Amino acid sequence: MAVMRMGYMHVKVTDLAEAKDHYANTVGLYQTLEQDGKVYFKGWDEWDHHSVVIEEGGVGYVKCGFKCERPEDVAEIETKATAFGYPVERMVAGENPEVGDGVRVTLPSGHKIEFYSQMTAWGLEVGTHNPDAFPRHMVGIGAPRLDHALLWVNDVPGIEKFFQEVVGMWATERVKTSLDDDAQTLATWLTIGESNHDIALLEAPENKIHHFAFEMRGWDDILKAADIFAMDDTPIDIGPTRHGITRGTTIYFFDPAGNRNETFAGGYRCFRDRPTVTWTADQLGKAIFYHSRELNERFLTVAT
Amino acid sequence: MPKLTVEPEGVCIDLHDDETILEGLYRHGYAYRIGCRRGGCAICKVDVLRGEVDYNRPVAEKVLTDDERATGTCLSCRAVATSDVTITLREDNLRRVNPLMARFAVAQPG
Repeated sequence: MAVMRMGYMHVKVTDLAEAKDHYANTVGLYQTLEQDGKVYFKGWDEWDHHSVVIEEGGVGYVKCGFKCERPEDVAEIETKATAFGYPVERMVAGENPEVGDGVRVTLPSGHKIEFYSQMTAWGLEVGTHNPDAFPRHMVGIGAPRLDHALLWVNDVPGIEKFFQEVVGMWATERVKTSLDDDAQTLATWLTIGESNHDIALLEAPENKIHHFAFEMRGWDDILKAADIFAMDDTPIDIGPTRHGITRGTTIYFFDPAGNRNETFAGGYRCFRDRPTVTWTADQLGKAIFYHSRELNERFLTVAT
Repeated sequence: MPKLTVEPEGVCIDLHDDETILEGLYRHGYAYRIGCRRGGCAICKVDVLRGEVDYNRPVAEKVLTDDERATGTCLSCRAVATSDVTITLREDNLRRVNPLMARFAVAQPG
C-alpha cells in the first residue's frame, strides 16, 4: 500500500495565540515547533514530528499531506498524477519543516495535497518500551491522532477519481441523488486503509474545508470531550451524536478562528472488497446526524 | 452602553461594553442563524441600517472584505457597537428561545 494515511493538516487562523491555546490546551496536542508564524503539533499517539500546522493570517485550508510508505511510492504518485492531468510540482526536504522530499498536487478545487514519505520521528508520548495505555497527564480532550478531513469541492466525481486512480483509495460510502444508474454522486468517503475514511468530498459551491477530525478512543472519550468543550467555552456545532455514514460517533466543534474540528470514534473496519454503501440525498439528515435525522442549518452552509 | 435595535422585529437591547452583537442578543434570550461564532464562516452577517460597529479582534479579509465593511455588512459574532446601532437580519428572523430573558428587552427602540 503506497499511501498510508493523512499525515498532516495545515490551516490558517486569525489569532495565533488563541489557536495555540485551543489546539494545545483544549484539543490536547503537543507543540513540537514554532517557526515563521506557524505552530506545529502532534497527538500523543502519533510518532511523526507533526500532524497539525496552524498559520496566522486568515482562516481556512492551506494544504494537507498524505504519508507514503516509501520514496518510490511518492515517485509513482508523481507519475500517475501527471498522467491524470492535475498540476504536480516537487517539494524539497525542509520546505515543510521536518518533512522530506515530496510532490504537491493541486486539485481542480484549488486544494493542495502533498505526498511525502519521510518526516522526522518524534516518538509516541507513551514511548515504545513497556508503554502505558495513555499519557498520565493528558491535557484537554487528549486527542490521540489526526484522522481525516472533509473538503468542499466543485467536482466530486472527478476528484474522487483522482483519489481512486492516483492515490489508490476506494469509496466506503457515497451520497447520491438517487439509486438510479445515472444518479450523481454528491459526496464520497474515501479510505486507503481499514478506517472508514481518510478524506471525504462534498459537492459545494465553494472550495473550502468543512472540517478535519481527530480520532478518539471511544464514546466515553467523545462524551468527556464535550464536557471539556463546555468548560473551555469551545463552540460546539453538533453532538455528541452518531453519524449514519460510517457509524462513527462525533462532535463537531470550532477552533478560535472558526475552522471546524471533529472528534471521531468508532465506525467499522473496511477492506477493499467491502461493498460501497449508498445513501440517497433525501436521507441526508439521517446519514449525517443519525439520531436527530435532521441536518442542522450549518452542515451544508458553514465551512472555511 | 450602546443600544442595539433589530428591525423589523423592533427588539431593542442594551449591549455591554466590548460585547458582540451576537453575545448581546443571545444574553437577552434571542437566537438567529449563526455558525462558528468565531468569525470564520460568515453565516452570521447582518446589515447595519444605522450606527457604527467596530472589531476588536482580527477578522479575515476573505470572511469580511473592506468593501463589505464600508457598505454596512457586519459580522455579528465579532462586531462590537461603537454607537447605538440598528441592524436587520439577512433571510432570517430573530427567534425568542429564552422568553424568561427576552421579556426584559424593550419592545421599542430607546
